[in-house]
Amino acid sequence: MKDHTVKRILGFFLLIFAVVVYVAIDSVRNINRDMTGSDWVNHTHEVILDVNGALSDIRSADAAVLSYVVAGDARSKAECKEIFADLDEQLGVARDDTRHEAIQHEEIVQLIGLCNARVDFDRSVLAARQSNDLQTVRSLLASDAGVEATHEIQRLVAKVTSEEMELLAERDHTSYDQGQTTRVTVWSGVALDFVLFAGVGWVIWSDIVARRRAAAALQEANEQLENRVRERTAELASANEKLRSENLERRWANQTLEHQLHYNQLIINSISDLVFVLTKSMNISRINPAVVHLVGREPPDLINQPLSSVVRLDMDRSGGAALLVDPLSQALAEGRDLRDLPAIVEDKMGRKTPVTLTIFPLRDRDKVVGGIVILQIAPKTS
Amino acid sequence: MTAAGNRFTAPRLVAASLVFALALSPLRAVTVNELLTVSPMTPRHFANYFEDFEFVLFDQVQDPEVFLSTQRGNCQDYAILGDYVLGRRGYDTHLVHVRMVGQIAHDVCYITQSDSFLDYNLRSYYRNLERSGPTVREIASRVAEMFKSNWTSASEFTYTYEEGVKRMTFTVVKTDPPAEDPDYRAAK
Repeated sequence: MKDHTVKRILGFFLLIFAVVVYVAIDSVRNINRDMTGSDWVNHTHEVILDVNGALSDIRSADAAVLSYVVAGDARSKAECKEIFADLDEQLGVARDDTRHEAIQHEEIVQLIGLCNARVDFDRSVLAARQSNDLQTVRSLLASDAGVEATHEIQRLVAKVTSEEMELLAERDHTSYDQGQTTRVTVWSGVALDFVLFAGVGWVIWSDIVARRRAAAALQEANEQLENRVRERTAELASANEKLRSENLERRWANQTLEHQLHYNQLIINSISDLVFVLTKSMNISRINPAVVHLVGREPPDLINQPLSSVVRLDMDRSGGAALLVDPLSQALAEGRDLRDLPAIVEDKMGRKTPVTLTIFPLRDRDKVVGGIVILQIAPKTS
Repeated sequence: MTAAGNRFTAPRLVAASLVFALALSPLRAVTVNELLTVSPMTPRHFANYFEDFEFVLFDQVQDPEVFLSTQRGNCQDYAILGDYVLGRRGYDTHLVHVRMVGQIAHDVCYITQSDSFLDYNLRSYYRNLERSGPTVREIASRVAEMFKSNWTSASEFTYTYEEGVKRMTFTVVKTDPPAEDPDYRAAK
């Protein structure tokens, strides 16, 4: 897989991880906020229950006091005691619950004042009844603005309840919003993660396509290469075959040439005249067996030696004076033949043999590269 | 057989086992006076006396002798008796009244020395004390957790059998910042 593809996939996964972490953190925060909102809803319910419970306690206490006044039943008195304790607890809790709600707190304090006044009245009636001071009881009850006092408590409780209900609706709305936010966050995160996963899939898919394309191109290149190799192999085989034929022909030609050379050598060797092949500078480069036979020296002793070490022109016989220039060298330099010149060959033992010398220039195309000297042993004169 | 060997004869071993069993699980009802005098008396020892008690809901706090003799009662009977007995046995105890959503308020007795509270719902021999921090907020949270419920407010209160009335010392409201709790500074 290509490096940049791996980087892209890693990048996508990092994004997915980041989204998951963000959603998790945000969801936990929202859940915490939601729980706090729920606490506030419960808190508001408690206040509503407490103030309404207080109203109920006041009514119950009034009823119990009247019952005690009428029947003198100790259970009614004990009931009053419980109710007062319960009322005290409920109002105390309501007061503490509304510690941070200034308006409601003030109303609760006002309610506590009203309730305490009512409790004090009830206690005074109970005390008078317990001491059988019926006159006092009668006057207390006669002067009691019970209904009005209860109405005032009821009105205040209704007001607090109404306000708390508004707070309840507001807090429930906040709690609902938190829930909705959590839901939206989670679903958005899930959707985003799906999109990112789709992105990962796309990157992998495009990489697979690219790899397939590259593999196809490679296969095509391989096929082309194989074709070229095949073609080149065929060409090489053809060239090799041609070369083999040429080699064969060349070998045949060489064999023919060798054969011709050998044949020429045989011809030269079979001649009884002495034959010298000279270089341009008049040194011996080749001889035939007749030379070895007459001179008595082996070819290695003669090759590269000047012709003059074996043969010299016989000036006496030719009737000419000694020349300043060697006529043989001059003839070669000029590319001329010299025929039947009297000469003397000196063998190994110093014996001299009169011969007639003929020299031919040896040409390679138009250029004189050497010469051929043929010596014929002169017939003995009487 | 030596004199030392005679000390552990079979009948004596059986008698000792019976005494030990009786001490662990009293067959007869215990009295308040016994609770105030028996040794040792730790919160765990106290709780062990209530393993077989039944739960019955009453409007009022029962007389402790009635509670012990009938072996029937509820959280407030148990917490208040625990506060009464352990308080007199040298323990620093606090009564806590926890209000929860949709539940009857629950009372527990916190014992500072053991960092735990007595709860009538936990009366088994193996688990009869619940560990908690010392603040009312921590105790309320732990109680609500045990009930799998939310608490709204909790109060520390006092109770005397003579007066028969719960007196709220202070109240902690869940939605208030913890730093504003009356017992926050003392706990920290």
